[in-house]
Amino acid sequence: MSDQDLRTLKFINSELLGRKRPTIEIISDDPADQQPPPVCMAFLSTETTEDREQVLLECSELLNALELNDVTLKKQFHKSYLDFSFNHALPPQMKALDASQPWIMYWIACSLRLMDEEWLSQVVQRRMAEKLLKCSLENGPFCGGPGQDPHLVCTYAAVNALALCGNIDDCWGRINKKEIYEWLLSLKSSNNGFKTGTVVGECDSRSTYCALSVASMLNILTPELSEGVEQFLLDCQTYEGGFGACPHEDEAHGGYTFCAVAGLMILKGLHKCKVDSLLEWCSGRQTNGEKGFSGRSNKLVDGCYSYWVGAVNTILEIHGYDPSVDKTALQDYILKCCQSTERPGLRDKPGKSPDYYHTAYVLMGFSLTEHSYNTTDSSTAISVKPGTNHSQLNAVNPVYGIPIHDLDQFLKFMST
Amino acid sequence: MTESNFDPGSFQYDDIEPLPIASHQKDELCRILYDDEYREVMGIARALLKRLELSPRALHATSQAISLVPAFYTMWNYRFQIVKQLFGGDPAKLNGELDWLDEFTLNNPKNYQIWSYRQALLQLHPAPQFVRELPILQAMIDDDTKNYHVWSYRRWCVLFFQNFDRELQFSSGLITRDVYNNSAWCHRMFVLKSQFKAKPPLALVTTEIHYAKAQIELAPQNISPWNYLRGLYQEFLDGEFDSEITDFALTFTLGVFDDPNHSAPILSSHALEFLAHIYTKHQETYGRARCAYQALSKVYDPIRANFWNYKIRSLLA
Repeated sequence: MSDQDLRTLKFINSELLGRKRPTIEIISDDPADQQPPPVCMAFLSTETTEDREQVLLECSELLNALELNDVTLKKQFHKSYLDFSFNHALPPQMKALDASQPWIMYWIACSLRLMDEEWLSQVVQRRMAEKLLKCSLENGPFCGGPGQDPHLVCTYAAVNALALCGNIDDCWGRINKKEIYEWLLSLKSSNNGFKTGTVVGECDSRSTYCALSVASMLNILTPELSEGVEQFLLDCQTYEGGFGACPHEDEAHGGYTFCAVAGLMILKGLHKCKVDSLLEWCSGRQTNGEKGFSGRSNKLVDGCYSYWVGAVNTILEIHGYDPSVDKTALQDYILKCCQSTERPGLRDKPGKSPDYYHTAYVLMGFSLTEHSYNTTDSSTAISVKPGTNHSQLNAVNPVYGIPIHDLDQFLKFMST
Repeated sequence: MTESNFDPGSFQYDDIEPLPIASHQKDELCRILYDDEYREVMGIARALLKRLELSPRALHATSQAISLVPAFYTMWNYRFQIVKQLFGGDPAKLNGELDWLDEFTLNNPKNYQIWSYRQALLQLHPAPQFVRELPILQAMIDDDTKNYHVWSYRRWCVLFFQNFDRELQFSSGLITRDVYNNSAWCHRMFVLKSQFKAKPPLALVTTEIHYAKAQIELAPQNISPWNYLRGLYQEFLDGEFDSEITDFALTFTLGVFDDPNHSAPILSSHALEFLAHIYTKHQETYGRARCAYQALSKVYDPIRANFWNYKIRSLLA
């Protein structure tokens, strides 16, 4: 062995694993590596550790290379990515999202609006409202595109997108609340969850959250609609502390945990879940090396969980609990690993391409790290404390995924 | 029709006027530039849907449309209505539809519409069989061992057929392949919580504790078996942790409880978290709990310091 620090990781007999594994030697001459880590995962190499090591390496390079720079969010740069899609038709390969058209508009408009209210012009709001209303039967419920069947998660995206349009051309007044209400009732299944559609479609914590979100925003969340829903969501919590898709001990997952927790806040029932174990699971999503959040135990970091998991943490803080995540570290991951100088837009992790979905949820997650919220148990009364620092993004309501200012205008309109 | 992008198979569609799928809205926001193939295939499928034609040729058209954009849920809805009408209570024909779906699934592993469609088919089927589901479930998990939708569908099937016979073995196979596969670990808890009316037999819980411990010895820094182990005690043993399990966990945290400033490497931070949880149960061990949380906060898992400090404050309260 030379003057290099040669660290040899030992592995268990491959026969025990049912799979042959080479012994891996990590050779490093970086002085920072000479200190052994306080605890190490790589006693045994599997698909999970191999994938993680790769991501860890790429993240560490970026986090260290940019360590001394005071990196900021490249807002103008990301704006160019979003503007392009609102000023040009989408290329043919985007047909993969043909049944998710309200989502495309929601993600782009929400991203622009978070960065600067002025960046979503009235001209675009008008075009957006017109298109959204065309993606519906009779101005609600909403569909993935014109001429398609109504779908619960598309209705969620469409209502959220409309909330970003101001009340341009009376688009808020045109939403057919009565039809939406009747349709939501028809989607409620025997276990009190909501299905995504009347023919086939999943029934899980995500579709159930979408129903609650739409109904509470439109001010049509009646006792009949919400009866038993709280228990459905509570039953999705697992022994790990997070929530799964269905109330049959599914795996705890960042996206479904957000849906269940946000749904429970809408119903004012969050205190009925096992909060301590939720806090523990939530904090366990953040890893020391990458600094971002993973969506499940032993899965890889992904920028979108900055919102899904970040919002769970914020919702708990709004209920008076202490923060369970490290927001400064998360900012580090977002600024250095989710944005690059080569391509505008935000991404899942280094090596991945930016897309609308990740741009929206990474920005919303970043916004959550910048603001402090007042305590309340009402999802429609969430507000932020006056900031001392200059924040880069507008504040988002962590339950609905909409800038607070836009949401409050919409709720006010719907309450009269 | 000349040079068509639509493969009619053995059917005739000459009487169908394709529906124009592009809107003619002026200045449409986020308009997708459909290619000719998509326009033609979707045009025919949507023209048939508009007539609500429930026929073999309509079924064929939905196959074409779904293969272009698997996420187009409207076509799955339409397909289900056709299948219901044409195949109704005929097990052989419904099995044929499952065959088609198997092949489609293998070619589109990331799509998740397939799984709720599959559930709907089984509920329609007069004599559904669990064994019919196993090969595709095996293939899909082999291909992507943590595919959330496949695992969730498997659990739905187990409950639907009330057949738990293979499940622990299935999970063990995947854990042998990758001990860090959290989906496979969660599946064990699903079995234990769902198979028995009250609690699972004590002998089974004990076997599972031994199993988790053995896997921890292979790879101590692995959150999945530690969570499972804690879950077993919490769910089935009234949260009463015996000295044997405490001693087991202590072997992975050597030195931490002897020296408050201990910073040498340990084998598992999850063992420390596990012990801290046990020590918060009784006031006389609060000191040890505090010691564990401080070590986690300062040395072994510092990014979660906010949470560990909250736990320390909870001890005082």
